[in-house]
Amino acid sequence: MSETVLSLRGVHKSFGGIHAVDNVSFDVKAGERRVVIGPNGAGKTSLFHCISGTHTPTTGSIVFCGEPITHMPEHKRTLLGIGRTFQISSVCLELSALENVLLAVLGVRAQKWDFWNSFHADQGLQRQAEEKLVMVGLSTKLNRQVSDLSYGERRQLELALALSNDPQLLLLDEPCAGLSPAERQRFFSLVKNVPRSVTLLMIEHDMDVALGLADRVTVLHRGQVILDGTADEVRVNEKVREVYFGRV
Amino acid sequence: MNTRSETGMETPTIAQPGALRLGYAVAGIALVVLLMAWPAIAGKFATSLMTQILIFGLLSLSADLLLGHAGLFSLCHAAFFSVAAYTTAILQVRYSVATEAAACLGILAGTGLGLIFGLAVRTRGVYFILVTLALGYIVWGVGYRWSSFTGGDSGVTNVPSPTLFGFPLEDPTTYYYFVLCVVAAVAYGYGRVVRSPFGLTLRGIKYAERRMHSLGFHPVKHLYCAFVLSAFLASVAGVLYVYFNKFVNPVSASLHNNVEAILMAILGGSGSILGPFVGAAFVLGLRNWVSSFFELYLTVMGIVFIAVVIWAPGGVSGLVQRLINRLRS
Repeated sequence: MSETVLSLRGVHKSFGGIHAVDNVSFDVKAGERRVVIGPNGAGKTSLFHCISGTHTPTTGSIVFCGEPITHMPEHKRTLLGIGRTFQISSVCLELSALENVLLAVLGVRAQKWDFWNSFHADQGLQRQAEEKLVMVGLSTKLNRQVSDLSYGERRQLELALALSNDPQLLLLDEPCAGLSPAERQRFFSLVKNVPRSVTLLMIEHDMDVALGLADRVTVLHRGQVILDGTADEVRVNEKVREVYFGRV
Repeated sequence: MNTRSETGMETPTIAQPGALRLGYAVAGIALVVLLMAWPAIAGKFATSLMTQILIFGLLSLSADLLLGHAGLFSLCHAAFFSVAAYTTAILQVRYSVATEAAACLGILAGTGLGLIFGLAVRTRGVYFILVTLALGYIVWGVGYRWSSFTGGDSGVTNVPSPTLFGFPLEDPTTYYYFVLCVVAAVAYGYGRVVRSPFGLTLRGIKYAERRMHSLGFHPVKHLYCAFVLSAFLASVAGVLYVYFNKFVNPVSASLHNNVEAILMAILGGSGSILGPFVGAAFVLGLRNWVSSFFELYLTVMGIVFIAVVIWAPGGVSGLVQRLINRLRS
């Protein structure tokens, strides 16, 4: 359980004169629950974009399971075993929940190039997609059009999509954003139930959720890592308090 | 059950109840019987009109593979249609090439052009529209100006009637049945494609392209294949057209021809198989009827189009679907 799944070395991403991610280095071990926290504008999502391939780092290197992926396009990283959810739900509103997950299952298969056979008729494919929806608690909403689902249900669907390629590393970008406290709790338990074979890297604003789940926490501020430690270390750290609450 | 999106396009979804399925089956059989019996019940002129409807419906269907399923508004489909028609016509008229070879080479030429023009799928939105508009104009310009090869304004005339494997298709009724068979086969294949994982992928790209990257797709590759496939369909329509029309001129590659094909899809119901054909019947039927007593028939078409977009954004098929949904509830 101790091999490194993700390794970042000196990752830097700048947009013009703005250094969104500034010399970030850390390792994530297999099965670890790593939470990235930091105030707004700290560069958390930019860092996620660099890891998932939406952005290419300006400098630095990213290695996933021993393979350098710094310049690899996003879809290839997905094929390697990186799954992610988005801060703002980006599911296909016009398709059904099941069709969304079918797409996610197809994404990592050569079957996505099948021009001829009906995707409805493929029982194995359907079953696999249904399983993912059951896993996130959407078993009764399979055939509902996503635009008819509540915001919370769309977040659950986001998670189902990210799990569909059976990822080794799952990136969750503020999965609980915009959810009510009750929905938050439910979602939190869903995330907790993700098997340990999946390594989790998660951005979260809710400190209770973040510190309750994390094995380790990385605190970002102005693009830089100011602390990398356990939840308890974060709780008592002066610098983290200062960043979050200002100097007293 | 079909569901309507915000854009008013039809998106096929999951299971249909038994009664509804039976209804569709009965309607389908009625349609097949009607089309089979059409020459006998409707006469010569109407048979020729129906042949046109099938051909332009196919052109419309080809453009709608991109518009209705992938969300791309192409303005160069008339170019594929036209290049296929010109190639077949020139080979038949000047080089006396047999129908089988001339038709195949025509389709090959149109599809080949699609392989090149397909690079346009690297652009999106208004840029895609502009790039395809420019590409369409290139073909129109070549047809119009390179008169030594294309015949210029008057085009290529006196295209002989087709003969397939020794079987003449000269008689308009025979040709109607031939076109009907080709269109039916193509529509069947089209139906398989849009219900396949590939078709679902296109709809995923249409609605959430950004997300498709993170699900492991390379959207440009899928869109390129869809583009070439739709160029192939437009080319088939082009070859059917040239043997029906017996001549081809630059009008076939015009923006007007292209836009009309897209209007047919929108009027009939974009994103469905029947929609473009319903739209073609609507446009060509109305044009024939109105132009017989009113010179400004294009004005009438414009008003009809605006009315459909405002009050029935799902087109005629959308209206029918709404009616069925109302009856069910």
